[in-house]
Amino acid sequence: MKNKTTRFLIASVLLASLVCVGLFTMLASFMNSSSSKAISEVGKTYMQGMSEQISLHFETAINLRLRQVESIVEEVPMAEDSGLAHDMVQEQLRSNGKACDFNYLGLVSEQGDFEMAYGEKLKIIDPESFLTSMKEGKEKVAVGTDLHGNKVILFGVPAQYCMEDGSLALALVAGLPVEYITDTLSLDINDSKVYSFIVKQDGSFVIRTNGAFRENYFERARNMYEDTKDGTVESYIQEMGKAMEEGRDYSRQISVEGKLRHVYCTKLSYSEWYLLTFMPYGTLDATIDHFSHNWGLVSVLGCAIVLGILLIIFLIYFRMTRRQMCELYKARTEAEHATQAKSEFLSNMSHDIRTPMNAIVGMTAIAMANADDMGQVQNCLKKIALSSKHLLGLINDVLDMSKIESGKMTLSMDLVSLREVMDSIVSIVQPQTKAKRQKFDVFIYDIISENVYCDGVRLNQILLNILSNAIKFTPDEGKVEISLHEEPVENSEQKVRVHIHVKDSGIGIAPEFKDKIFDSFSREETRVRRTEGSGLGMAITKYIIDAMGGTIEMDSELGVGTEFHVILELEKADTPEEEMVLPPWNMLVVDDDEQLCESAVVSLKSFGVNAEWALDGETALEMVETKKNSPNSYEVILLDWKLPGMDGIQIAKKIRSQLEDDVPILLISAYDWSEIERQAREAGINGFISKPLFKSTLYCGLRAYAGEGEELVLNSVIEPKVDFKGKRILVAEDNDLNWEIAEALLEDLELTLERAENGQECVDKFKETEQGYYDGILMDIRMPIMTGYEAAKAIRAMDREDSDLPIIAMTADAFAEDVEAALHSGMNAHVSKPIDIRELQRLLEKFIK
Amino acid sequence: MTLKECYAALGGDYEDVVLRLRSDRMIQKFVFKFLDDPSYGQLCHGIEIRDREEAFRAAHTIKGVCQNLSFTKLYRSSSALCDALRNDWGAEADDLVKQVHEDYELTAGVIRAFQEEMGE
Repeated sequence: MKNKTTRFLIASVLLASLVCVGLFTMLASFMNSSSSKAISEVGKTYMQGMSEQISLHFETAINLRLRQVESIVEEVPMAEDSGLAHDMVQEQLRSNGKACDFNYLGLVSEQGDFEMAYGEKLKIIDPESFLTSMKEGKEKVAVGTDLHGNKVILFGVPAQYCMEDGSLALALVAGLPVEYITDTLSLDINDSKVYSFIVKQDGSFVIRTNGAFRENYFERARNMYEDTKDGTVESYIQEMGKAMEEGRDYSRQISVEGKLRHVYCTKLSYSEWYLLTFMPYGTLDATIDHFSHNWGLVSVLGCAIVLGILLIIFLIYFRMTRRQMCELYKARTEAEHATQAKSEFLSNMSHDIRTPMNAIVGMTAIAMANADDMGQVQNCLKKIALSSKHLLGLINDVLDMSKIESGKMTLSMDLVSLREVMDSIVSIVQPQTKAKRQKFDVFIYDIISENVYCDGVRLNQILLNILSNAIKFTPDEGKVEISLHEEPVENSEQKVRVHIHVKDSGIGIAPEFKDKIFDSFSREETRVRRTEGSGLGMAITKYIIDAMGGTIEMDSELGVGTEFHVILELEKADTPEEEMVLPPWNMLVVDDDEQLCESAVVSLKSFGVNAEWALDGETALEMVETKKNSPNSYEVILLDWKLPGMDGIQIAKKIRSQLEDDVPILLISAYDWSEIERQAREAGINGFISKPLFKSTLYCGLRAYAGEGEELVLNSVIEPKVDFKGKRILVAEDNDLNWEIAEALLEDLELTLERAENGQECVDKFKETEQGYYDGILMDIRMPIMTGYEAAKAIRAMDREDSDLPIIAMTADAFAEDVEAALHSGMNAHVSKPIDIRELQRLLEKFIK
Repeated sequence: MTLKECYAALGGDYEDVVLRLRSDRMIQKFVFKFLDDPSYGQLCHGIEIRDREEAFRAAHTIKGVCQNLSFTKLYRSSSALCDALRNDWGAEADDLVKQVHEDYELTAGVIRAFQEEMGE
């Protein structure tokens, strides 16, 4: 699999590179060929233009000279009509010719002989065509030579002057050296890259430039030119000759000494001459070469960049693939482990679940068989109830664990009273300890803040898990203790560290199992096979404590007992505690636990009570006796029930015989006092205070004896911190009765209330009113037409400034999930029914400014 | 029969409701209004036509009302019925419906008796 992917990747890299290189090469060569084609085209056009220029220039120059000759002819009268003497005519011609700057001037006879007016005697090189033209009365230019063999350009104009021998001349011919044309046409300027020849049709030079020394151009071509791809030199000469004959322009590339040149051939007027213009490609070639070079460079560079990017992409992809494969492998291994653990767990669980299930099935069968026997049926039902409870516990644990494993367990932090938590824990475990006749004790001391922010349900779960384990693994008549104390947290005023110890005298935990106690699905197989439980309890406990940011430690010795120590750092709830003041009583606290006594005395002092304590009954009786009849004799006495030696009831009896009846004696106990109540009352005990002894427990227990009625503390609306007068609240509530109750309660806060009967109506009402009309919304969740969640979402989604007004959910459901759902749909807070006006008031104060 | 006795008879928590609603007069007013609450009728209808949605909502409303009025007994059975109907028609729902009927009749009966006694 891995190799296949690698091979595929490498192959595709190679292929991509190949395609890339090929493409760029093709592109470059195509550009090159098309650019040379373009150059040839440009050359041709350029040469054509240039040749036209030169030939036009030539024509102008020749024309000018011919006109001069013509004007001489017009000015100097011919023989017949003037009667001027031959000499005179010659004289006039001479002066006129010199004025026109001609080097030579003479008359030519029909035979082509010259009679010079001045200058050396000339001779026409190819007289026939010249003489023919003259005879036809056409002006013509030709080449001739003087006596020294210098080439001379001849300008012939037909004219019938008398010659010396008396015959009539054919034409007046003026001559200029060949250089005149060369100079005029700038045919031979050295630094010009372009040069020109003038040749006749047979290839003989009229004007040679550029160091040509042969007499014939075609000969020169045969000797110097090389064959090109356009054709051989010979074909070139033939083609050019043909073009000259037909009077066409001709253009072609030629190669001279390995260099390309462009030649352009065009016919010149007034003559039998042809202009050959040459342009070496050197200049163009250099430019083109440079261009091609650049092109090549750009291509190579482009190719390299594309290849580089491709390579990088491939490398990254390659690495990604590799990593993915590694992760896949890891995930598979993990999944296999998890499956294994789960199947192990399942096989364990199936046993655990089947046991109570079998009991339920069996007991049901027995009950059915004995439907008439009430006693038997009741017995069966009791056992069924027990097994069901056990089964439910198991299933709850499994569900909890699956919640934890899927990361769905959430903590809902709320104001929690540690007193209430401990109270409820004690009341839950008491029946169990009683059934096993275990000694159960609760210790509370050093309480800094009774109210903290914490997930109360989860905290209960932690304590119950640990406590029920302790009870489960402690034999009958053993001892189980739970203690709770707080200490301040360094560098944090808002937090308090809560220590919870749970200690038992149970069977203990084997050292080798200690490390595994917090793992899922683990249980010490050898000894506790028979003990009920899923083996998930401690894992769940540990997880919750971790989620709360706390720690749990364990200390255990086989056969001696186990102690769990939980440390949680919780935020103090700074709700102002009620003003707790009691009359300045003199009080006696009797308990065998010194810590409890001290802690209670400190609490009592804060209420304004003078308290003393004793650790046993004998001391207590002595203290009562001593103070009797003095002004500071005890006015209230607190007695622990279970004391070494004399118990609380016995002490109470003795004290009652010493003191008057109106001194209240109260019993402190962690136990359900219903069983001892009658006995206690008979002994003269006035009331009970339940352990754990929180400050508030003490206060509430003692307040009744302070002579003030309970009405004092009845929940009444506290003076609102915020003035709600004129604030308008929209209450979405479908049920009339609930609405009326809400109305009655909220009106006390002087709020103005409006009602919507369902979510849709709530949204509409809000939509229809102007900005800021409502100051808040109380939203029921389960409503017909539109639920509270949807309504909250719709309001939050509205495009108006007050769409963020406070929305408080008000529902009969109080699960963490419901709170979450409310917050998730955009509501600010959640209160559960029944409507508690104080809670609602607190929230309104918080959100409505 | 006092209001407190009425609460005791219908399985409610008088201490709790008095903490929240504060005066007997107000509690009594709402307790009488309970008889006019349509939720129970809606529940019966929903159960009859097997409309889980309606039955659930009605049970939920009854639960909310009972919470507000601290009718603990009826609250317990209606809350259980709520949970049974929350996601699907739970197997125990039919038994719970019976329980809710029973508790409702008890509650309503006690309130009616109380009402008569009060001469309203």
